[in-house]
Amino acid sequence: MTQSKNRKLTIARAMAESVAQEMRADERVFVMGEDIGELGGVYGNTRGLLEEFGKDRIRDTPISETAFIGAAVGAAQDGMRPVVELMFVDFFGVCFDAIYNLMAKNIYFSGGALKVPMVLMTSTGGGYSDGGQHSQCLYGTFAHLPGMKVVAPSNAHDAKGLMTAAIRDDSPVVFMYHKRLQGMGWLGTEAGATVQTPEESYTVEIGKAAVSRAGTDVTIVSLGLGVHHALKAAEQLSEEGVEAEVIDLRSLVPLDRDTIRQSVAKTGRLIVVDEDYHSYGVSGEVIASVTEHDISVLKASPRRVAYPDVPIPFERGMEQFCLPSVEKIIAAYREIQPSRSPSAASV
Amino acid sequence: MSTDIIVPIDLYEEEEDAVVTSWLVDDGAQIEAGDLVAELMTAKVQHEIQAPVSGTLRILKQVDDVVAKGDVIGSVG
Amino acid sequence: MMQPSLEQKLWMYEYMVLSRRCEEQIATIYMEGKSPVFNMANGTIPGEMHLSNGQEPVAVGVCAHLEAADVVTATHRPHHQAIAKGVDLDRMMAEIFGKATGLSGGRGGHMHLFDPEVNFACSGIIGQGMGPAVGAALSRKMQGKPGVAVAFIGEGATNQGAFHEALNLAAVWNVPFICVVEDNAWGISVAKEASTSVPRNDVRAASYGIPGHYVEGNDPYRIHEVAGEAIERARAGKGPSLIEVETFRLAGHFMGDAEGYRPEGEKDALFEIDPIPRMRQRLVDDGDASDEQLRQIEEKAEQRINKAIDFARESAEPRPEDALTAVFA
Repeated sequence: MTQSKNRKLTIARAMAESVAQEMRADERVFVMGEDIGELGGVYGNTRGLLEEFGKDRIRDTPISETAFIGAAVGAAQDGMRPVVELMFVDFFGVCFDAIYNLMAKNIYFSGGALKVPMVLMTSTGGGYSDGGQHSQCLYGTFAHLPGMKVVAPSNAHDAKGLMTAAIRDDSPVVFMYHKRLQGMGWLGTEAGATVQTPEESYTVEIGKAAVSRAGTDVTIVSLGLGVHHALKAAEQLSEEGVEAEVIDLRSLVPLDRDTIRQSVAKTGRLIVVDEDYHSYGVSGEVIASVTEHDISVLKASPRRVAYPDVPIPFERGMEQFCLPSVEKIIAAYREIQPSRSPSAASV
Repeated sequence: MSTDIIVPIDLYEEEEDAVVTSWLVDDGAQIEAGDLVAELMTAKVQHEIQAPVSGTLRILKQVDDVVAKGDVIGSVG
Repeated sequence: MMQPSLEQKLWMYEYMVLSRRCEEQIATIYMEGKSPVFNMANGTIPGEMHLSNGQEPVAVGVCAHLEAADVVTATHRPHHQAIAKGVDLDRMMAEIFGKATGLSGGRGGHMHLFDPEVNFACSGIIGQGMGPAVGAALSRKMQGKPGVAVAFIGEGATNQGAFHEALNLAAVWNVPFICVVEDNAWGISVAKEASTSVPRNDVRAASYGIPGHYVEGNDPYRIHEVAGEAIERARAGKGPSLIEVETFRLAGHFMGDAEGYRPEGEKDALFEIDPIPRMRQRLVDDGDASDEQLRQIEEKAEQRINKAIDFARESAEPRPEDALTAVFA
């Protein structure tokens, strides 16, 4: 067995590599979106594709999301396998009908007779003062509406595998990538996202969470950038002898409730870290998945570190006040950590 | 005998500094000549750094380090 | 051609210069804290920045005809239009800097400037300003109050659904609405001819049964004339118009845009026809203003911008917890 080359990729490169490999293998795969051709994508995720595959299969579109996402649905139903980009998830407002009423429902409306093998890739996340219409995560919005799979990688290895799985899936998959994890230096660096990534094609199973760090004292569940905050919080907690288990959801739909439940059954304490808005979303869903299954596993109330229910402010201090952080995760743990029993015997 | 990995003078037009944004190989790993080993950024543009020869990579400048044209960012031995 | 009055010409020149000084200063200040590492999150003005250098004639040519009570909606590249519309310069600058004294106390930033005093608003979703402007025009009509509504968009937005819907609706309701398209030929990296099925968007007005005009040459006097006619039509109850104006951006799409997609030499050629020195020369050649007079206008403009910047720098930041307020009325 040949040894895998020591080679890391940024998430941007991992996405582009997956798409390129699938396009070489299957001529029905094509890419459309704004600035994904000549520019290689505003977030670098289609670099090199135009040079290799040409304008027919790598299509820069007009600013016409309803039209080209609707077109992706039609093309997918007719035998093609489009990968289409919504440049910022915040832009879903101008084209959501094509997404949630067509892409997500046509398999069902056809009783399973139709396939809709398309990937909708879209950027998420804030923390760099891009304001309320360019910084959202909207995980809950997409996960809530039935009929579309939703994935959100935290690192390049998972990004490549999930993209390949998404392209090969005959159901529609929304691939939500966090802007600050892409490896674009102008949005900051998160070294933890740039990891060893095999050169060959492979898939990461959609609907399966990963245990990024094993632990026994508290379960921290997150996705995307939140996973990196959780891992850093776990490092800090470890210094005081508290071992946190970090679950990287990787997929929102299907949601890996089994892995979440198993972890909390082991640790008894749950913190959910979610950069999306607090109410009516991912954090509540993760908590409900545990409590409705077996509330007796919990030794303390579940906690969420999520974005407050306000539009995202531009100004740095206000935005940072709202964002999840390592400090907030530690503070959440403090609220639920075991208290010293007065009757504990001194050694 | 090791070979330096240098920020090429002609990597970009401007005179300004760059920042290391990614190392795409681990420190101490085996690399081949021409392998993509790092990404640098000036203003908002990403640039690629290839390995000049084959051998073992030694990383000298870390992610987020600021470098200038001509600086040694690593070596291959 | 109907020339603007002397007063209007001098107003337009002054506001073009104000706008350009503003953009030049912001460009410099934006880079504070972003060198040597260009991290968008850092520095005095974080986030994205979209500057209007070169597009000033469109703002002044249109806004010369507008009162405070008229409504303007604008885009992610709003500074020249905000200034020409009479937005409070100090509070606008403070908002761009994210200060508590800003138009929205730092919540909006440069892409979301709201000044109800002069009925100016802008934000960042392509084409989104069209609907609200149509609605404002409808509201005036329903209330029997005077006023027109102008939506500024880029040529890229003419391919967005909201553009077509809003024009149709404005025509069906016969409201005092004008759509002004700033054709700077580029939608980030995609050229107009690659994205738009017609070379000029004035022809699209016919689809909605309204007048359409294309104004060449980034010329403030020509824009002033055509905009004046459209605005008069609207004020007279004769309904909406579409105007597309040929202009150009001397800067990138956003600060930090390497513009690798622009053909070699394109920008250099554009600097040769920068509309501000051109207008300056024309004022002098036409005998409308002396060099000294113009120098005074320029100096005054520079001082005004500096004052706004000082105000912004000296203003306090908002309290972080203010992020949670002003959500509901």
